[in-house]
Amino acid sequence: MTIKKLFDRVDSVRLENITKKYGEQFAIKNLNLEIQGGELLILIGRSGSGKTTALRTINRLIEPDSGTVSINGADVREFDSVRLRRNIGYVIQNIGLLPHLRISENVGLLLKLEGWNEEEIRKRVRDLLTLVSLPPERFMDRYPHELSGGQQQRVGLARAMAMDPPLFLMDEPFGALDPLLRTQLQDEFFKIKKELGRTIVFITHDINEAFRLGDRIAIMNNAELIQVGTPEELIFSPVSDLVSEIVDSKRKYRHIDTLKVGDMMQPLAREDTLDPGMSAESALDLMVRKGLEFAFVMGKSEVSGRVCLNDVLKARTRGIELKEVTRALPLFSSDTTLIEALAKLKSEGESMGLVLEDNEPAGVLFSDRVLQNLI
Amino acid sequence: MVITVEILEATLEHLFLAYTALLIGALVSIPLILLSLYNAKLASLIMRFSNLVQAVPSFAVVAVVVPLIGIGFTPAVIAIMLRVLLPLIKNTYIGLFNVDPSLIESAKGIGLTEFQVIRYVRLPNAYPAIFAGIKFAAILANSIAVLTALIGGGGLGSMIFEGLTNFNTTKILAGTLPVIAIALFLDFSFSKIEHWLTPVYLQK
Repeated sequence: MTIKKLFDRVDSVRLENITKKYGEQFAIKNLNLEIQGGELLILIGRSGSGKTTALRTINRLIEPDSGTVSINGADVREFDSVRLRRNIGYVIQNIGLLPHLRISENVGLLLKLEGWNEEEIRKRVRDLLTLVSLPPERFMDRYPHELSGGQQQRVGLARAMAMDPPLFLMDEPFGALDPLLRTQLQDEFFKIKKELGRTIVFITHDINEAFRLGDRIAIMNNAELIQVGTPEELIFSPVSDLVSEIVDSKRKYRHIDTLKVGDMMQPLAREDTLDPGMSAESALDLMVRKGLEFAFVMGKSEVSGRVCLNDVLKARTRGIELKEVTRALPLFSSDTTLIEALAKLKSEGESMGLVLEDNEPAGVLFSDRVLQNLI
Repeated sequence: MVITVEILEATLEHLFLAYTALLIGALVSIPLILLSLYNAKLASLIMRFSNLVQAVPSFAVVAVVVPLIGIGFTPAVIAIMLRVLLPLIKNTYIGLFNVDPSLIESAKGIGLTEFQVIRYVRLPNAYPAIFAGIKFAAILANSIAVLTALIGGGGLGSMIFEGLTNFNTTKILAGTLPVIAIALFLDFSFSKIEHWLTPVYLQK
């Protein structure tokens, strides 16, 4: 049984000039936001900031007073609302499992409504439960009230995935869970997200959750969008005090496990590098002329490491080759988190590391620079 | 022997009267409630009307039917029906409306139609309440059906009134005992069915 789909993949979800008022109160005011295909966009803000209203305009649970929501360029009002919603996974904090239905019936409800037969539904439900780490044979025939909050939330996730939607809307899905369980579910969700590669709009009020999961974060306040950007953009260039308060940019060191090596590296100046074949004499010459304390030794493509002025002097007096005094450097990819990188530097007793992008040296990470930037 | 046959006939007549009225009451009230799910005005109108009928004493409801539609079986059915509307309507209404809003929201959000929301969310949630209403209405119909003998509804009520006017104890008992038996039977059997119908998650 195949699923009738409105769209196979999502390239963009665009909210343009969306305004929604309840009485005199703005729920959203002239919101413009584009969600790119394949990203996880976080909507964050205090309660009443309009994030849930914004989310619900996407699956037409709320019709805006003005403005348009479009998916892949098509206005959502062109779609039948029921069809649209069946093509968008929807998970809310209260989960909303139907209490009188077994887990298998809850997960398979939409498939049944879509006319799948019993056998196909059971097979699909099994696969889905397995995906969310619930052994099907133990959970299929139980009722929601027999499950813990975390297990129910997994079922909610499985149900949202039943129709294999390319787009998910999640409204504080982990909000009601205790912190330990939340972290665990976030990790699992992150894995599933990577495997499935879907576009996700995710509401939270927890900035740590936002940093853990989000590719980009949109900050809302008083019915308006304040800033949208990657975690680094928000931390290093907040547009307002509110943003800097929310992302806690005064204490950037708190984000040491969110920020990436790529955010903190110094670009590598090619002309300041030494060729491994260079004589110690000319290396010294170059370093003195440029006033370098140390230099990187690298060939056309391979990286050998770095040398200090001292090392070069030693090499010259002893008459040995440059590469024999070269010390190997820790290597990082630019999406390594700072905390991992610093731990590696510490364990290797180094104060700097080389950052590679696509196996090409792209920059240098200095541990003291990291500290300066974070405080 | 004659009296046994008489009792049996009166009992059947009584049951037929009471439960025709109950069935019509159910057929009238449940669609009305479903409609009022989408019309707040209709909902409040229905609730007010059935509350009003409930406030009027049963005897007065039975009596007031006579100048309006006369006497006989049909007026009796109508009188009983009016009296059983409230438990049916109120319970159905409460059952269908008192659903956790987040259940409705998530059901709509994952793509259920309005009808499917009623079918899969509201109705299952309302069964216990609707059933309690039907149970109460059935017991009420049984007792009003005794009164409607006064307006020509026949049945066990006729026997009771006859016995009362003639000081005929046998007749009085012949009328009252079946009524009591019916009431007890209803209570017992409905409790059984109620237990059987209650969803697993509501049983402890």
